[in-house]
Amino acid sequence: MNAFLNHLWIQFKMDIREKGTLLTYYLVPLVFYLVIGAVFSSVNPASKQTMAAAMPIFAITMGAVLGMPVPIVKMREAGVLRAYRVSGIPGWAVLLIHSLSAFLHLMVVTVIIFVTAPLLYGANIPQNIAAYFLILLILLFANIALGLLIGVSARSQSIATILSQAVFLPTVMLGGIMFPASMLPEPLRIIGYVLPSTHAMQAFSSLAYGLPSDISAAISLSVMAGIGVLASGLAVVRYRTSMKS
Amino acid sequence: MVETVVSVQGLIKRYGEIAAVNSISFEVGKGEVFGLLGPNGAGKTTALECLEGMRRPDGGALSVCGRNPQQDGKRLRQVLGVQLQASSLPDGIRPAEAMKLICAWHGLQPRDDLLNRFGIDVQGKKHYSEMSTGQKRRLHLALALASNPSVIILDEPTAGLDVQGRAQLHDAIRELKAEGVTIVLATHDMAEAESLCDRIAIIIRGSIAVTGTPAQITSAGHAETRITICTKGNSLLPGKDMFNARFLSQSDNYGLWLCRDTAAAVMELLQEVQQSGDSVEDLRVERPSLEERFLELVEGGRK
Repeated sequence: MNAFLNHLWIQFKMDIREKGTLLTYYLVPLVFYLVIGAVFSSVNPASKQTMAAAMPIFAITMGAVLGMPVPIVKMREAGVLRAYRVSGIPGWAVLLIHSLSAFLHLMVVTVIIFVTAPLLYGANIPQNIAAYFLILLILLFANIALGLLIGVSARSQSIATILSQAVFLPTVMLGGIMFPASMLPEPLRIIGYVLPSTHAMQAFSSLAYGLPSDISAAISLSVMAGIGVLASGLAVVRYRTSMKS
Repeated sequence: MVETVVSVQGLIKRYGEIAAVNSISFEVGKGEVFGLLGPNGAGKTTALECLEGMRRPDGGALSVCGRNPQQDGKRLRQVLGVQLQASSLPDGIRPAEAMKLICAWHGLQPRDDLLNRFGIDVQGKKHYSEMSTGQKRRLHLALALASNPSVIILDEPTAGLDVQGRAQLHDAIRELKAEGVTIVLATHDMAEAESLCDRIAIIIRGSIAVTGTPAQITSAGHAETRITICTKGNSLLPGKDMFNARFLSQSDNYGLWLCRDTAAAVMELLQEVQQSGDSVEDLRVERPSLEERFLELVEGGRK
């Protein structure tokens, strides 16, 4: 346990030192929040209702889906995983620690947004804070699992980037973060239902803010958790296969 | 009788139809430095990776301190240190953090003494990505020794190092040998193998062509010993074939003979000088190098 915690702490510090990770975990999401938050709150006051939910969804998706995979591929390509393995550090621990470190960083960003959004932009505070953080945890799990799956599956850093963008861009456009998903054409709205962010937005609206939603919260939470379980299961299988080969 | 700590018997590793390692066998005794030599693609790294538990062999029996690398992975790490040919650490990690990390997974206190020993700044803020190739190699060697292993595998540890870096690593390997650590070393560098290894196996196309001490391997070849001699009165020149030595060439006042029985040839040449009332100014004997023997084997293997 001591080794695991030591490793997690070192990984947490390394993530901050890594420019690419720092950008995707902290800088871009926070700058996006500050700029877009200011624009949205002035041109569309209704956006304040769920701003403290929409901005963390963006930050978590960016950090987990765009930020996590490339360093994992880089570790594999550079031989870091091999060096760890011959030094007695199990591969599963490296990936789990990487995921937990991402979880902690993204939680920090989320808390920053949660605390400052009402102060800076007059964003609504959730009616049910416990539900807010429960949805957040499930969203983090689902997105980190997706990031992990992309990281262990992609053969190169460029493929990882393409796969990450293939998840991230629809999340921003179809997930209901920038504008309500109900405004989307039917086919795009259906595509949006496979994304964790869509269900997170629905669950935040109904459970945390008491607003009307298109999908029941129970279904949304189940879909997000299901995506997380499926992605993490596939990531484990893929990792084991790659280690054997 | 030296205790055998590394045993490889009939190791086979195939990639599809190609046998990268084709039934090789060798044993390494306790405290021995055993070298694996071979051209690129000969199968050295594949053989070592099987021994490290990184690859699953298609045949043969392997043992490191009585542990099966494929079945006793966790127990293997307690006795085996490995410096891989191609490996890395995260760019942002500091040497002291890397040491702390690996020691923590072995349930040990950080071995800063090893970092000091290999000239790595323990308090330094330098990240792995900012270290020179030599510093990285020394760091990986220090990390390989973190668990105080009784066997260490070094796969081309001096590749890409400058002269000073190589000399430092060679000294470190000699120190480890003096401490009784068993070392399996894969290298391209003949001088390195000749100066560090107690025994050598030359691998060609996945098979061991020859095993023995560097002296045994060089003497088993067809290359002849060179005797270069210069006398005060040039009594040996112009040169001629002797009973035990074949005259090859003359340069300035030096004559060059080739021979197989070095002692007999030198005696015969000195006798000739003495009989002429001459005296020797310079005498050099150069036995065939390991490199010549290696090339002979490689060329033979290609034919």
